[in-house]
Formats: sequence, structure tokens, C-alpha cells
Amino acid sequence: MIQVRGLSKEFAGRDGTDTGIVALGSLDFDVRDNEFLTVIGPSGCGKTTLLRIVAGLIPYDRGEVSINGVPVTGPGPDRAVVFQNFALMPWADVLTNVSFGLEIRGMPKAECEATAMGLVKLVGLEGFERRLPKELSGGMQQRVGLARALAVNPRILLMDEPFGSLDEQTRRLLQEQLLRIWEQERKTVIFITHSMEEAVLLGDRVMLMTPRPGRVKEIINVSLKRPRGQETEKSATFIEIKEYLWENLRSMQVA
Amino acid sequence: MTVQESKKERKGALSADGLRIVVFALFAGSWQFFAARMENMLIPTFTEMVGGFVQLVVISGRIWEPLYISNQALVLGYLFSIVVAIPLGLAAGRVRWIDKLLNPYIGVLLAIPVAPLIPIVITALGLGLTSRVVIVFLFAFIFITVNTRAGVRNVDPGLIEMAKSFGANERQIWRRIVIPGAVPGIFVGLRIGLARAIAGMVIVELLLVASGLGRLLLEFAGRLQADFVFATVLVVILEALLLLNAMRLVEQRVAPWAHDISVE
Amino acid sequence: MARVEAGKTRPISVPGALWGPVRSNGIEMLALVGGVTLWEMLGWLLAMPWLPPFSKVMEALIQFVQSGVILANVVVSLQGLAIGFSISLVVGLVVGALMGRYRRVEKALDIYIYALFISPSLIFAPIFFAIFGLSDAVRIAVIVVYSLFVIIINTATAIRTVDPALVEMACSFGANERQIFQRILLPASLPLVFAGIRLGMGRAVKGMINGEMFIAMVGLGALAQRYGSQFEASKAFAIAMVILIIALVCNWIVQTVENNLTQWVD
Repeated sequence: MIQVRGLSKEFAGRDGTDTGIVALGSLDFDVRDNEFLTVIGPSGCGKTTLLRIVAGLIPYDRGEVSINGVPVTGPGPDRAVVFQNFALMPWADVLTNVSFGLEIRGMPKAECEATAMGLVKLVGLEGFERRLPKELSGGMQQRVGLARALAVNPRILLMDEPFGSLDEQTRRLLQEQLLRIWEQERKTVIFITHSMEEAVLLGDRVMLMTPRPGRVKEIINVSLKRPRGQETEKSATFIEIKEYLWENLRSMQVA
Repeated sequence: MTVQESKKERKGALSADGLRIVVFALFAGSWQFFAARMENMLIPTFTEMVGGFVQLVVISGRIWEPLYISNQALVLGYLFSIVVAIPLGLAAGRVRWIDKLLNPYIGVLLAIPVAPLIPIVITALGLGLTSRVVIVFLFAFIFITVNTRAGVRNVDPGLIEMAKSFGANERQIWRRIVIPGAVPGIFVGLRIGLARAIAGMVIVELLLVASGLGRLLLEFAGRLQADFVFATVLVVILEALLLLNAMRLVEQRVAPWAHDISVE
Repeated sequence: MARVEAGKTRPISVPGALWGPVRSNGIEMLALVGGVTLWEMLGWLLAMPWLPPFSKVMEALIQFVQSGVILANVVVSLQGLAIGFSISLVVGLVVGALMGRYRRVEKALDIYIYALFISPSLIFAPIFFAIFGLSDAVRIAVIVVYSLFVIIINTATAIRTVDPALVEMACSFGANERQIFQRILLPASLPLVFAGIRLGMGRAVKGMINGEMFIAMVGLGALAQRYGSQFEASKAFAIAMVILIIALVCNWIVQTVENNLTQWVD
């Protein structure tokens, strides 16, 4: 469904000099419908840049990014983003934050809130809908972010290291919750992570990127049965794939 | 923002300096136009003001002596306030009971307008340089104190703890941790204090018609020499800009890592 | 396994609850009381005409309030303050918002706004006098020039320093320019904008009194000049106190509005 061909992106150097940073080399990959694709790579490989390009937030220099044949030129109702640092509006309560995407698209307020309330329940935050972000823990805040993205019913969910700023225990709980929600309605997901466990646990396929300029090193099939959970992490296949990822990442690390 | 829009924004437009020149030209041009049309004796045209400026500063040099007289109060008052305010601020920042002693007065001193107290100072000290110095002092010192204190408070207590763990005594802590750490805040205070001192000097001149620029302004106004009146105002503004920018440069050389925790 | 019951605390004795805050603020209160006492003693001991004892100043202040003699002046002063500050507020917020949002506007105006901000504001009084003659406009113009630039600068900074992640988030949901401004920039910039308004308020009060003392014809400024020149020090101090009270009240008003609108700040 998502097609990326020869994508490359360069950031201009400071003061407009020619010494720019080539964030993405020449990327080629596909994302299938309803697939959960995890993306992992060494620091600075351009994973976040790639996500923002697919989201339509930044332009790209060369190549092609299209969704079902339609090239990406900006944000659209078919995609929604979950941000690493939550990006919640600190002045608005949970319900208002969740209904943000809907209100932007012109849905009447009452309808927005009703839809939003459904999602607040889905992510397990019932009872907290009138609280402000500062009253919530990190994990709860990210659940708000997830609810907000799901509220606009996108076909594609773009997740930028969503659990990266959470402690390990919260992260594991949210991984479980994400898997459970995804099983109900399998949206297409591109999920960026630094964690090999997370990449293998969540993904149908894992895309391994090279260091800057980022390219696709390899796409690995994760043939683990769904639904997945704690037990999955003990399986031999899981450990094998995880180790394979680490070996590759290790050799790619810039000292 | 779409991909196309951000591409548009990347193309440079008129440069920053170009824009500023345009704004200045518009300002000077409309001033010239309206002043010429109004034919008001009290409002010079832009060119008349510039002419007056050149006259006062370069040709006749009439501005320099009153400028010198007025600035005596500025320099002395400012130095006096530094000498009082910095030790006070340092003490308040480091010693809890001094801080608490000062605290109830700080809010009041920051908010109280000094101008109504000027007549009282005159009654006590007469119309000479002393009163002017005291008034400038009153304008500036609390701001230097408060910012110095903030500079000291901003020193990472973790650093002080670290120094103590290595056995540093109070004097060493002061010399090696507190004072270097407080330097940014102190310099912000010096800059704000200077701006306040200049304001104080100006207010003294205008309200007291003291012996320097104030008297000059009164003379020019009385003789309907509008070009000189405006030119004198310009001289004062330029002096303020010069002094404060110089201060800022010093601040950047001495403490480039400072960022404004300014209390104004 | 013993269960720990949340929410149960040791009961505190009522006197203990009262003394806590008093003890920690003890030195501050002592300083205040001590200072006032010192002022009182010095006033009587030194018997200088320019340092009346604190009680005499209070007397003059109470007399002002009771006899309503200064009421007319206070009203005149406050009217000027209201008009001048309103102008500063409207112009300041608009110009500041434009400068914060559009880089070009910022680049064009920033050095001038900054130069005007750091110039000694009362120096413009002779110019206003030349333009407006002996009218209220001079007082109001002085108040504007005292308070306008701090509002512009703070508003511009407030809008410019809105968390870019929030703007990006809004973009990702397809928000247009107007929506971004209304739903993200405006609420996010409130704290800093209010800081500017509070500072502007303080500056406006100073502009009010300085401008009036320059013109020396109406308002509290005129009274300050008169009492000062007539060696009526208690009354002069009392006028300073009245102005201080006005400044504190205005600040309190702005602070209250600010607290109500920015409860969400960490």
C-alpha cells in the first residue's frame, strides 16, 4: 500500500553552505496493507526523518513516496502520528486532546467528544477524561496520544519511538496494550524503535536501516504467531531474530 | 504546512538589513512629509533635526559640556550603586537570613516609582551633584541587587555539594564556585542597572531642570529651536544605545554562556 | 501481609499548625516590623524635615483617604493610565504577535523595537510636548512609550518559542494556518504574554507618574511636585505610597487573571 522508491533527503547545512547532511540515501521498500512494520537502525540513520516524510510533514528531495499510487504531498486523513514526546496540549484536558484531530476536521464538538470518549475507554483512561496532562504519568500521556491518533480513524498509523521516553515497566505494559488494540482492527503501522525486543515483538516485518545516509539494509520476516504476548519473548525464533538484529546493528555502530 | 509551502518559504526574500532600511526610510520619509506640511514651529522636519544634530555635536559642539555635566551624575551614581548592590546581592544569595531580612522590601523597592521621592531628596541634599547622584543610585541599585542575588541562587547546588565533598571551605566555595557561577546574573544586573541609571539621569534632568541637558532643553524650547530640541533628544537616545550595547558586548565576552534570567 | 492504609497521617496539634508558617516567615516579619520601627525612631530622633516618622506618613495617608482631597487627582491619573495602557496592550499584542509569527516582520522591526525598549523612556516627553502641546495626550503618550515595547518583545518571544512539536502535531492532523494560530500558538503563548502584560503594567504606572510630574499640572504627579516643593515631606511620602498601592493593586489584578487562564502550567 505504501510505496517508497529511491527516496532521498538532504538537510541544508547551517548558513546555507553546501555542507549539508544527507539524512536518507536511496530508500526502496513497500509496506503492505494491514501490516505492522517496525523500523530499527543505528542512531542518526534517519528513521524519524523517514517517518515525517511519509506523514507529509517535511518534503523530500528525490524519489517517490506514494500511498496506493497517490504521491504524498502533505498530511492527510489517511495517516496519523504518535509522537515520542507525546505532543499533548498542556492547557487542554484529556478529552479535548483526544478530540483534537476530529475538531480540526470540522466535526461538531458534541460528536467529537462522544467519539473521543470511546477511545479514552479503549486505552483504559476512563475517569481521567477531564484531567490535564500534567496530572498524568508518562505512560498515561502516551495513551492519550495513541487515542488521539486512533480517533481520526486513519488507515495508517505512524509511530515515532512512542515508548522511547518511558521506563521499561511502563513500556512493556503499553506494548501489550498496543498489540491488543491492534488485533481488534489491524491498521497499517510503521513503528520506529531503538529496541530490538520491541521491534521483533511487535512487527510482522522488521526493516533494518544503515547508518547515515540511511538506506534499507535488510527487511526481516518475523514469523511469530499472533496474538503475541509475554510468552512470545521466550520462543527460540524470537531470540534468534533479536540476536541477528543486534549483530547487524553492532557492526554498523559508529565507534 | 504542505510540502509545497515549505519549499516556498525556503527561497530567501529581501534580506534582514534590506527590510530594516526600508522601514527606516518609510519612517524618515513620512516624518519629513508630515512635518513639512504641518509647518509647526515646534516640530522640525527630519532633515532639520539631522542638521541640528550635526550642528550641536560637530560644528558648534554645544552639546558636549552639558552632556558631561549630566553624565557626572550617571557615572558616579552608577558606580556607587554597583559598590552597594553587588555585595548586598551576593550576601542575599548565599546567606539565608540576610535574604529573608531583605525579602519583604524587595517587592516594594522594585515597584516604587522613584520620581515622587525626588523632591524629598532635594529637600535633604539641595540641588547639587549630590542629590543627582543619590537619585541615580536609587534608580539603579535594587535592580543590580536582585539580579546579582538571582545569579548566586542559580549556581547549581550540586556543584557546591561537590566542592564540599572535596573539603572546600567557605572562602574557596565563594571564589571557585559561587562567584564564577554568578557572573552571568551579575552582568545581566549590571546591564539592567545601567539602563535604569540612564533613565534616572534623564528623569533628573527633565524634572529638575538640572544643570546639564535639562537646562539645555529648556533653553532650546524657550527659543523655539525645535531642531535643537529634537537633536538633543536624539543625542541622549544614541548615548543610551551606545552605552548599553557596549555593556552587552562586555557581557558576551565575559560570560557568553549567560542567558537572560533577568528580573526587570 | 500488613496492609498500609493510604491517606492516614499523624494528627497535628492545632497550635503546631499555626506556628509552622510563622516560624519560617519569622525573620521576614521581623525585618518588616524592624524596618518600620527604625523609620519611626529615626524620624523622631533626627527631626529632619525630609524624613518624617512613619506614623506621620500614615497620618497623611489616612487624611487623604478620609477627606477625599486627592480623589480627583487619583481619578485623573487612573483615567490616563487606563487609556494609555489599553493602547499599549492592543498595539503591543498585535505587533508582538505579528513579529512572533512572521520572520520578515520580526527582522524588519526588531532592532527598532529593541532600541526603543532600552532608551530612557521619559526622554520622549519633550517630543510629545512639542507635538501635542499642553494636553492629556502627552501623559497618555508617555504611558504608551513606557509600556508598549516590553509587551511587544514578550509577546513576540512567547509566540516564537511555542513548542515546535505541538505545531508539528497540529500539522500532522491537517490543521491550517488559522487553526494553528488559534488552537496552538495562542493558548501556548499565554504564560509569557502575561509576563509581558504584568511587566507592562508596572512600567505603565511608572510612566503615569513620571509623565505627570513632567507636565506637573494634573493628577498625582502634580501633587507630588507640589508637596515636594512645599517641603511637606509626609504628604510627599504618602503620595508615593498611594502610587505604590496602585501599582500593587494593578499587578494583583493582572496576576489573578493570569492565574485563572494558566492553571495548566506545570
